[in-house]
Amino acid sequence: MTGQAWRACLLLFRWQMLRNRQLFALLVTIQIALGVGVIFGFSYLVPHIDAEVALFFATGAPTLTLILMGLTLVPQETAQARVSGRYDYVSALPVPRLAPMIADVSYWLLVQLPGTLLTLLLAAWRFHLHFHVDGLVIPAIVLVSLTAAAVGYGVAVTFPPTATTQVTQFLSIALLLFSPIEFPLSRLPEWLQDVHRVLPVTYMADVIRGGLTGHYGVSRALAFAVLGGYCVAGLALSARAANRRG
Amino acid sequence: MPMLAIDHVTKTYRGGVLANDDITLDAAAGEVFGLLGPNGAGKTTLVSQVLALLIPDSGTITIDGIDVVRRADEARRLCSFQPQAAAPVDGLTARQAIEIVGCVRGGRRDSVRRRAAELLDALDLGEVADRTVRMSGGMARLTGFCMAAVVPGRVVVLDEPTNDVDPMRRRALWQQIRRLADDGAAVLLVTHNVLEAERCVDRLAIVAGGRVRAIGEPGKLKADLAAPLRLECTLDPDRPAPDLPPSAALMATTGRRLLAHVQLADVGDAVSWAQHAQDIGVITEFSVAAASLEDVYANWVQTEGASA
Repeated sequence: MTGQAWRACLLLFRWQMLRNRQLFALLVTIQIALGVGVIFGFSYLVPHIDAEVALFFATGAPTLTLILMGLTLVPQETAQARVSGRYDYVSALPVPRLAPMIADVSYWLLVQLPGTLLTLLLAAWRFHLHFHVDGLVIPAIVLVSLTAAAVGYGVAVTFPPTATTQVTQFLSIALLLFSPIEFPLSRLPEWLQDVHRVLPVTYMADVIRGGLTGHYGVSRALAFAVLGGYCVAGLALSARAANRRG
Repeated sequence: MPMLAIDHVTKTYRGGVLANDDITLDAAAGEVFGLLGPNGAGKTTLVSQVLALLIPDSGTITIDGIDVVRRADEARRLCSFQPQAAAPVDGLTARQAIEIVGCVRGGRRDSVRRRAAELLDALDLGEVADRTVRMSGGMARLTGFCMAAVVPGRVVVLDEPTNDVDPMRRRALWQQIRRLADDGAAVLLVTHNVLEAERCVDRLAIVAGGRVRAIGEPGKLKADLAAPLRLECTLDPDRPAPDLPPSAALMATTGRRLLAHVQLADVGDAVSWAQHAQDIGVITEFSVAAASLEDVYANWVQTEGASA
């Protein structure tokens, strides 16, 4: 992106921050409460947590948060913007087509950051885990959030606003129950494992887990390559959908 | 070359609704061009195509020679606009909203700040300039205008800029619209406010049923009217409406207001009739004046209604 494009993203991010500043503290608090809830709530759900399960819980929580941000918060915000006219207004400004999405993702990452950090600290304390955070966790977070947001944004600019909520809720439930984020891939039926070897969710969980612990389920290069491919394709399709002009 | 050129543009929505039918018009730098027409005439569809939000089925739109469809990004840089709906200012002060859009449009921070202050002052928006209160419809609309005018494009599109605005601020707003053109922009002004637009527009087009029905300078369009004078009467609500004399042609009856067109040679006859009607109490007052742009508008829109 050019300097001008980055400037546009920054300005839209500032717009988003100013627009939601009164809710910012509340949203951060909710994210923190959710993080705390996940760590303690899972303890009730699974009474005997061994080291492997604990690791999946602790590292799966931030992955799930990032994916849900992209698949629910970003599209719902976009759908709302389409209803209020804000989407068309911004679309008529000289900004890159994906700049509103990038501004939204940045805003929600900022909202989620304190909750995610607290969740990891709590998990380390509660389950006696030791994290080995490496630098790749940063590109991992960027890739996971952008890939999920590209899908969510694409849904929001393609489907009517009322359908967007239904579609994103369906995707969220499917992710929660049938994706190897909070548990190992091996627990799923064979056919679903094969499906997940093609879909990006396994790799999303893997790059975040690897970035936090240093241990990747599959090869690190493969996980980043698959996810990178999905990210580029998702952004391209989203940009195409946003550029569609009736 | 015109700054904005719309050439034989046709747009049909899914479902077969023909919104624009072979529309051709242009606006030069320094000109305020009015786009007048009833609801559903296709004005907003045309504006959406100028803003590169919709693509015409056929025809071309250029801004300063740049094709809006092929080079949408460049066209958006060359065109600023105020939407028909309120601009998205929720949660922001008027100044913040104006300055952010000014910077997004490529303005330098210090000049954007200066220009925003100037506009806020000119439109008397001090009370919402630095407060994040929920703005009234008029205040939000004026802020929307400032967002379009802070770093104006070579084409500035204003969709119903005066709706909900109080009379004093509306006067200031018309001055600012005129100033945009005087500073070199081509202003495309979409409005229902025919009477006020008459004082501001240099040329206009009347659009109805997706087609341009008349185009030209207000004076010329008025001169083309079949009758140069208008007789306006206020009816007594408790009495039946009187029959007009043969010399007056009924144009419209809206509530208690009756509007008729009169030829110059028949003005004496029409005044005598009106005076008598007032004396016997079927009308409470009347006036005779030169035909206005509203008459031109009513004439064309009525013609369209009759032919539809």
